[in-house]
Amino acid sequence: MAGSLSLGRSAPVTLRRANEGPMRPTSPAPPPATQVRKPPVHRTGWRAILANRKTQIALMILVPILVLAALLPWLPLQAPLQTNLRAMMKPPSLTFPFGTDRMGRDVLSRTLEGVKVSLFVGFSVAFISLVFGVVLGTVSGFFGKWVDRAIMTVVDIFLAFPSLLLAIGLVSIVGTGLIPVIMAISLADIPRFVRLQRSLVLSLRTRAYIDAARTVKAPQWWLLTRHVVPNTIAPLLVAASIAAANAILVEASLSFLGLGIMPPEPSLGNLIRDGQTYLEQAWWISTLPGVVILAIAISLHFLSDGIREVLDPRSRK
Amino acid sequence: MTYAKPIADTVLDVRDLHTQFFTETGVVKAVNGVSFTLGRGERMAIVGESGSGKSAMAMSLISLLAHPGKLVSGEVWLDGQDLAAMSEKELNGIRGSRVGTIFQDPMSSLDPVMKVSDQMVPPIERHLKLGAKAARDLAIGWLDKVGIPDAARRIDAYPFEMSGGMRQRVMIAMALSCNPRLVIADEPTTALDVTIQAQIVELLRRLTAETGTAMLFITHDLGLVSRFAQKVAVMYAGRIVEIGPTATVFRRPKHPYTQSLLRTIPRAGETEKRERLLQIPGFPPDMKVPPQGCAFRERCPGAHDLCAVETPQQTVRGPDHNAACFLPNGLDDVAEPAAEAPAERPVPVTTDWRALPRQDVLEINNLSKHFVGETLLPWVKPPTVRAVNGVSLRVRRGETLGIVGESGCGKSTIARMLLGLDEPTGGEIFIQGTGQMVFQDPYSSFNPKMKVFDIIAEPLVVQRVGTKDERARRVRALIEQVGLEQSYLDRFPNQLSGGQRQRVAVARALALNPSVVVADEPTSALDVSVRAQIINLLCDLKADLGVSFVFISHDLSTVRYVSDWIAVMYLGEVVEYGPAEEVFADPAHPYTRALLDAVPVLDPEAEAEREIRVISGELPSPLNLPKGCAFASRCPKVTDLCRQEKPVLVQRRERRTEACHHAG
Repeated sequence: MAGSLSLGRSAPVTLRRANEGPMRPTSPAPPPATQVRKPPVHRTGWRAILANRKTQIALMILVPILVLAALLPWLPLQAPLQTNLRAMMKPPSLTFPFGTDRMGRDVLSRTLEGVKVSLFVGFSVAFISLVFGVVLGTVSGFFGKWVDRAIMTVVDIFLAFPSLLLAIGLVSIVGTGLIPVIMAISLADIPRFVRLQRSLVLSLRTRAYIDAARTVKAPQWWLLTRHVVPNTIAPLLVAASIAAANAILVEASLSFLGLGIMPPEPSLGNLIRDGQTYLEQAWWISTLPGVVILAIAISLHFLSDGIREVLDPRSRK
Repeated sequence: MTYAKPIADTVLDVRDLHTQFFTETGVVKAVNGVSFTLGRGERMAIVGESGSGKSAMAMSLISLLAHPGKLVSGEVWLDGQDLAAMSEKELNGIRGSRVGTIFQDPMSSLDPVMKVSDQMVPPIERHLKLGAKAARDLAIGWLDKVGIPDAARRIDAYPFEMSGGMRQRVMIAMALSCNPRLVIADEPTTALDVTIQAQIVELLRRLTAETGTAMLFITHDLGLVSRFAQKVAVMYAGRIVEIGPTATVFRRPKHPYTQSLLRTIPRAGETEKRERLLQIPGFPPDMKVPPQGCAFRERCPGAHDLCAVETPQQTVRGPDHNAACFLPNGLDDVAEPAAEAPAERPVPVTTDWRALPRQDVLEINNLSKHFVGETLLPWVKPPTVRAVNGVSLRVRRGETLGIVGESGCGKSTIARMLLGLDEPTGGEIFIQGTGQMVFQDPYSSFNPKMKVFDIIAEPLVVQRVGTKDERARRVRALIEQVGLEQSYLDRFPNQLSGGQRQRVAVARALALNPSVVVADEPTSALDVSVRAQIINLLCDLKADLGVSFVFISHDLSTVRYVSDWIAVMYLGEVVEYGPAEEVFADPAHPYTRALLDAVPVLDPEAEAEREIRVISGELPSPLNLPKGCAFASRCPKVTDLCRQEKPVLVQRRERRTEACHHAG
């Protein structure tokens, strides 16, 4: 190995250029604390959600519709329930941008009124299902045993029915109108949230940080409110925005079938039903509210996609 | 294992390889100009910290990079063909036939729904142009060679019907079955237990010697390198900073990084107990912004003005030995060798614990834990896993008990019972004071939604200790005690590195002034350089606060370094117990001896001379334990007595006990 040593000595490199003379170490290793570099962080806050492309598309559709619906009383439009016998079945024009129906009512103002109802139904259903789903699913997943079995049996019975069919059945029992419709759709949606929350809780229950909290004798409520529920909120939000879109479609379907919001009170579903008879003479009465439903449903799906992409970077392609 | 330059031709010639990952947030320059050659039958190890580009480099060789990765430039000559210039179709003909690959995780690299035969035979048919019958016979022959018992029958098994070690053997058989010129193995034994690892390494060494296949072996385990590789390349920040024959590089490392790396590892018997391990300060550079000059400059005690300006190139330091550093002998040229300034630690000693009586703070008597399965039929006896079977241990104040053993020996179950996470089936646990835990995986042991402050304060809040202000003061004191700045308290866990997280975990464990801290594999998820920091920290705390530790690990050299006492476990029982140094120096139980034999040492020459007695076989199922000695199925000294009668722990020498009929 002596050979290798001498070889090593003969090898030192071009030093003369930078500084002459013997090599002296500069100040020894810089204090590591100043070198602290944050590892790349995948941002998950509200700001990141707003910065997402899909979320932006969703908001670009949703926000104008919401603003118009909110400003309806101040818009230069005929009131939603007012009839005008001199302007029946008029095609879209400047005065009536969406045209008028067979009683001369303004389709645009009725559509915007219907949007209010639809969004109210959508968000109420999402909120109610979320709350019940979180409570029941958490209890079921965290405590297990007979509580779990009891809750899941009921949930499975509900899940055996298609949700639209279930909602129709419930409405025919409870009656028609805004509140019954919301209750019916929520009841049909809750089981899915319970299932989702239960599976999330089951996977969280064995995390090391739950064990860590247990070793300091943290009470159950602490584990649930500090460690379990906060970590399930993200996927639940995704599910909730899809549930909202779904609820809007179910409400429209119910109203279309004459089981939801009753005329003359407008809703997107009964507007389509109204115009259905005149589809050949006056296409706008059904079609334009239909387009609005489509836009809202698509934007809510985009919203959920956007939230999911931010929360789970792997879903991005 | 004396190194001789292969007479035969060069198999692989890599020239100036550059690989980059085009991510959304910037270009990660993972490999920055790697060149080396590999001769026939030569085994070369690539070592480096995680993120040093070693895996990216190996996968670039056969263009198997994950999505945003791209081989930017460079040549990969295999037998006169440039793989880097090949089309995907041509490469498919090369992969699996001329180049075999073995991946880290045998669980996920075999298709779980395909029989082994269906995964193994078609490639042989295709690459070697054999008929179905001949290919199958060849596959069976290979399975037999890699040590799969009853290969002709087992070839039709599904992967889930095999253990991890068996699956890795299947992977090796698959990689070698088409007579490749080169085998790339990416951490092939990391997921396996030490005894199985020793078996696999022996197997790879024998087979590559027989077939003349060259092998590229990626690992972070320097001990394994010294046992297995003839040549070693040390990678840092996407470059090879030192390359040469293993014996030379380990004996006379020339690059400061290699030198530091080799000194961060406790050496069995050599490193004095009280001597602190060397820790490399700082972090590896961000590969999105490759530093100007030498990438290691900021962590190097020998850094020089020139290092900031110019990137050092590899220069010759001996026969086949190159290093990329301006200093001819690395840190040996620095007058003051890396002054190990033990960081100033605030020592909040209220009472000197040494004055207290050295009594037992933890006492376990005849502890057992049986997991009972479920049966659908009430008259069938439910399957019972006897995870822990009558263990008795004691830990005194200010002492560390190391528990070692292969996975499935019950060491983690004991930890969980100590902390009340699992109810014992039988036996008693007495803890004077409280017990706390440091968990294995620093990535899952924190709630991602909580800030560091709340994580450390949680035990205090839950136990209603002090007022809000007092708690805040205590948390600030704790974080300083583990060597982190107070600014870290505002961060979320995903903004911390692995080592920092483990420090936070230690701070949290200390919040309630525990008398015992149970550390379950606290360093196994960390890089070598960071591992030394955590071990030093634990040793400091033990000395300052008089906390007792139960240190659970499969890393024997670390356990040897930190522990005062050691308990070796096998299938839920303690088979040997005694002072750590004595047990390691002179193991009495054949299993302890086997474990020690399985662990490679850092000295390649000593490794070459060592007679490695690899124990065969695997752990028996804890579902039906044998009647006699549990180790009988694998023991070299086994007799009929062992199969008939279960040995009990007997004290034969002072302070030493072991459960073996043939010890002493």
